[in-house]
Amino acid sequence: MGARENFTTDAMQYAPQLFATAMRMTRNRADAEDLVQETFLKGWRAFGSYQEGTNLRAWLFRIMTNTFINKYNAQQRRPQESELDDVEELFLFRRMGAFDQSKINQSAEDQMFQLFTDDEVKNAIEALPETFRIPVLLSDVDGFTYKEIAEMLDIPIGTVMSRLHRGRKAMQKMLYEYAKDRGLVDESLLDPQD
Amino acid sequence: MADCQETLNELERFLDSELSPVRVAEVIGHLKGCSDCQGAYEFHSELRTIIKTKAQNEDLPKGFLDRLLGCFGDEVLGAD
Ligand SMILES: [Zn+2]
Repeated sequence: MGARENFTTDAMQYAPQLFATAMRMTRNRADAEDLVQETFLKGWRAFGSYQEGTNLRAWLFRIMTNTFINKYNAQQRRPQESELDDVEELFLFRRMGAFDQSKINQSAEDQMFQLFTDDEVKNAIEALPETFRIPVLLSDVDGFTYKEIAEMLDIPIGTVMSRLHRGRKAMQKMLYEYAKDRGLVDESLLDPQD
Repeated sequence: MADCQETLNELERFLDSELSPVRVAEVIGHLKGCSDCQGAYEFHSELRTIIKTKAQNEDLPKGFLDRLLGCFGDEVLGAD
């Protein structure tokens, strides 16, 4: 096996993860497919600069993230702080008591898993402005470290942390609103706060 | 010994595996003795799993992998 064949085999195993993340980035199947293809083409062309032993997965995600940002002109460097409402800490956790048990037909174990549909989770991520959506995807979905994300996006680690924090809270609020829209929430069950 | 507010403030970084070993030990020490914070930890840990699992649940388009293989050019088939 030559180095290029190794590279091909290794890269292909990440195709499903790259595609799922591309779907959440582009919010569109055709664009997601194009984005992953472009990532592989660029990776293949840049093969000379890829050193065996470096983290191929992170390398591919970095190529994809940068391709997305350049292609869609995502406003990575100047986040619109006003794009996201400030959401209180532990937003969803503090409201779990409002979920009406009688309307949720699941064992206690599956309950939270069934509470939010796949589409709701996907929509909650996709509704985030790109500045927040990309770090959240790279962390929550793809499991990269703060340092890896900071390098991929060329932003300080502290910025990664604050975007994750705000993005996650906004996402929790959206999940709560979706559940509310489906009639799963009875806010009279909530203890009065503070 | 960390108190509840400190623990909750660090929960996100704890879940991200981004705390130093000393801080990790402090958080775990607190969680063991505090059911409120333990509940918050379990909730957010489960939420992470749900988000990751559901956000990744995506069928590949038909023929996608074959088209991707096409990105690699002829060298793949020949000698390196
Ligand atoms: Zn506590």
